[in-house]
Amino acid sequence: MKYYSYFPGCSSSEGTSVAYGMSAQAIAGALGMELIELEDWNCCGSTPYGSTDELEAVCIAARDLALAEKTGLDLVTPCSSCYTTLNRANSFLRQYPELKGKADECLAAGDLKYKGEVKVRHLFEVIYNDVGLEVIESKVINPLCGLRVAPYYGCQLVRPEPGFDDPRNPQSLDRLVASLGAEPVPFPLKDRCCGGSLIIPELDLTLCLIHKLLESAASNGAQCIVTVCPLCQINLDAYQNMVNRKFRTEYNLPVLFFTQLMGLALGVEPKSLALNKAIVSAETVLSPYTKVAEPAV
Amino acid sequence: MEIKAYLMIKMERKDGGDGERDAVKELEEMPEIETVTPVSGEYDLVGVATVDTPKRVTGVANEIKAKEWVKDLHFLKVEPASPNPFLDEVCSTPGGESIRWCAQCGLCSASCPNVAQMDYSPRKIIALTRAGRRYDILTSNTMWICASCYLCTARCPKGVKITELMHALERLSTRRGLHYGRATSAMYRAFIDSIKRNGRVHELGMMMKFYLLTLSTGKINPLATIKMLPLALKLLLRGRMSIKPTKIKGREQLKTIVERAQALGGTR
Repeated sequence: MKYYSYFPGCSSSEGTSVAYGMSAQAIAGALGMELIELEDWNCCGSTPYGSTDELEAVCIAARDLALAEKTGLDLVTPCSSCYTTLNRANSFLRQYPELKGKADECLAAGDLKYKGEVKVRHLFEVIYNDVGLEVIESKVINPLCGLRVAPYYGCQLVRPEPGFDDPRNPQSLDRLVASLGAEPVPFPLKDRCCGGSLIIPELDLTLCLIHKLLESAASNGAQCIVTVCPLCQINLDAYQNMVNRKFRTEYNLPVLFFTQLMGLALGVEPKSLALNKAIVSAETVLSPYTKVAEPAV
Repeated sequence: MEIKAYLMIKMERKDGGDGERDAVKELEEMPEIETVTPVSGEYDLVGVATVDTPKRVTGVANEIKAKEWVKDLHFLKVEPASPNPFLDEVCSTPGGESIRWCAQCGLCSASCPNVAQMDYSPRKIIALTRAGRRYDILTSNTMWICASCYLCTARCPKGVKITELMHALERLSTRRGLHYGRATSAMYRAFIDSIKRNGRVHELGMMMKFYLLTLSTGKINPLATIKMLPLALKLLLRGRMSIKPTKIKGREQLKTIVERAQALGGTR
């Protein structure tokens, strides 16, 4: 069993992406991982805080990093935005001594200290690298043969820093999908933006971005889209209906978290994967693979 | 903003020799004075002072006037210490320094998913920043519709951190009060408000606050809000919206940290 400090992030802990958090915990055991939730974590601040006040933003992210440092474990998050934000705070603290000095003083005011040793990792990267495709393949008891999946990386998994996969043409999620027995379809827009939180203030602009993504996935024959980010999931899933009305299209593409897809293949009890929380129901597409089909609410 | 002032000083009694030498020495000992040069004509000395705020210019002048050997003092010129204070300001924020490397190739603009709707493309924003066009930039919509997708940053051949630049411009615009009416800015405010209140973002509360803020600016049609209700209902029914916020235990600690950061003036 490998242990990790776990940072679910606001939306996966109980918000719009609660299904992500639930399915992540549901598959962790089967993969020999234990995700120990970071005690009393706070929101990472995401883009809004960094775009309002730099020092405050770095400090609130540093509170989480300081708490994680005490555990001595890698800090794992399923959310691409948390992943980028916490990493950004980490690299800013390393890069800018003046900022570090001020941040240290602020943390000290809250009786905290951060040395700068926490490694922030994305849940997908941990599963891909630490567990590995061979082990995953060996654990698949319910191969998803014939399921055509569009692997959607989104922005902040492979960017801005070159990380574990090629930022120009990432392949890791394609390989993971294939290791589950499913078929990754060509998806040229796989690392393009869904608009993220701009969906709230700039609805029309963001619907255009979502439309392009859905079109790219559907025209390549995908039956569903699989994502690694809570924001990508809600934008593509919950706003699909609005895209259909705005562009007179008829997309009906379920958008799954990669953890849900893995759970199905690994034979995890479908109920614990919270598949019924999606707006675009995956029931028809997944019915060959779920023995106990869940009714949509 | 740093200010450079050129001061003409007339001495009480110019007798050449020691008096002038001592006067130059005395002025040079003032921390604000960069150089002092004796000149001939109506005035006897020219001093160049650099101060951090415009207010200090008068302070320095009064300090010199108070010296008993000074008869008269006259400002020749007062100007910003740097030819482009806005560029300096941008470059002093984390990540902002990288815009000096830009070669204006336009790959950022070509990569941007939202460029068609922007007042100025990312490449133009960099060119305008380097030209010191502060007001045009800070009142534009460009940074407010940046989706932080980092495609420009990942592709830039010169390593310019364009996404960080956009965040820096949002901060500068907000600090100068030029953000008013931008919906994205209202969303940021609602988001941060939720963090400060609970320690985490409570999505439902955040959304409600956002709509209240935008309604009060009159920039968003109230009908747009009503259009969102069916979606909100669907999310609620599926248990994807919690009614009550979760509050962390360390709220006081978080507050202390944030307040200290505010006291330190931030690195905006």
